[in-house]
Amino acid sequence: MDDAVITDAALAARDGDRAAAARFVELTQQQVWRLLVHLADHGVAADLAQETYERAFGSLRRFRAEAPARTWLLAIARRVAADHLRRRARRPVDPAPIQDGDEPLTGTRPGDVAEGIALRLAVDALPPDRREAFVLTQMLGLGYAEAAVVAGCPIGTVRSRVARARADLVEALGAGAENPEAVSREP
Amino acid sequence: MSRDADRRRLGVVGNSDDPARDLTSMGTLDCAACREELSAELDGEADPARRPAVLTHLGACPACTHWREQAAVVTRLTRTAPAEAGPDLVARVLPAAPRPRRRRLAARVALVAVGVAQIVLGALSLIGVAGHGGTMLGGADMAHMSHETAAWNLALGAAFVAGAYWTRHLAGLLPALGAFIVVLGVLSGLDLAAGRVEPDRVATHAVLLLGFALALVVSRTGPARGPSPAPRALAEPEAGPEPGPATAPPAPASRDHLGPVARDRPARREAA
Ligand SMILES: [Zn+2]
Repeated sequence: MDDAVITDAALAARDGDRAAAARFVELTQQQVWRLLVHLADHGVAADLAQETYERAFGSLRRFRAEAPARTWLLAIARRVAADHLRRRARRPVDPAPIQDGDEPLTGTRPGDVAEGIALRLAVDALPPDRREAFVLTQMLGLGYAEAAVVAGCPIGTVRSRVARARADLVEALGAGAENPEAVSREP
Repeated sequence: MSRDADRRRLGVVGNSDDPARDLTSMGTLDCAACREELSAELDGEADPARRPAVLTHLGACPACTHWREQAAVVTRLTRTAPAEAGPDLVARVLPAAPRPRRRRLAARVALVAVGVAQIVLGALSLIGVAGHGGTMLGGADMAHMSHETAAWNLALGAAFVAGAYWTRHLAGLLPALGAFIVVLGVLSGLDLAAGRVEPDRVATHAVLLLGFALALVVSRTGPARGPSPAPRALAEPEAGPEPGPATAPPAPASRDHLGPVARDRPARREAA
């Protein structure tokens, strides 16, 4: 993902270039959607993504490319998700937290698909701060510095949140079961 | 080891301001700090200065060595997981994209000029008929009929000038103005054919037509559904984590068609 190309498209879109606006959306929409799927939930991600772009276009006039446009956009998406969660006044997404005794979903379906599902459930069960840091850096591929800008926190915080998210996932997924001792769960 | 002990060692329990930072200065790391380094290493964000301490710790701590392998597996799994494709939103969001500014600005300036021309025409016709008296027509003196016409012309001129400035009102002007132009056009054609009017008098109506066209351009190129710039959306990304409910009312759902006030905001910024 080329940040410079995205930022150029945003600047051209700011000055009324509709084709550039379309390009800006095309280049970023998968990441915006993916972030929103994990920060909010799958069912509303498309609507929230639309709201993200509408907000972004509404404030594009003031965009001065001080930060890359992608970072700027993802920060808006993050606020859209936060507003959504506040509006709905509901718990953060917490779909079927993987509990002790739950046989991992790897048993039900073989291969990558099952692993992918188990991973997604485990990611969605992370505490919100860690999930955000993990999704930004691992699924969207942002550097720690960029993720810190999007999340509005120091880089060191991103660093430790990612590490803790990893620890949670290691525990939840029981990855590398060759060493049962390290991933053992209490009865 | 017990799970609780493991969680404590991972730093899962307790605050992030852990004492591990102090330990690093002594060249040693606790498990939580070591795993944070291992995690950063997986992302290419490791601190080279801590590398020796990490290696020292790994040499003495099989649990962290194993954690590194597991974390690598999870990381690989994450990065190779097939990404579900989201919907294509281009068509849905493009109407909210900023409109070309220069063309719109030019149309607004031209609309002011047309409005002024219309006012001048109205004023001239007013002066032209001043002092005339004459035949009654349908209960009104011809002079009064001319006054009515002049009043119309002046009003439309004023509407063009005002609409060029307060662009949100332009759209409301269009239906009445359009109907007026159609009727006037038909009647002018009939009058021309019957020789009841001179062509140059009819030509002055072209100003109206031009004003209508410009008003159409200005109102059509305005922000379609002006997402009212939510205060938070305008803030710099560095502005911090999500605000408390007290400081930030939820942004209005901008999918809805917004009222004229919100629509006008970008236009006013433009005019400024
Ligand atoms: Zn250790």
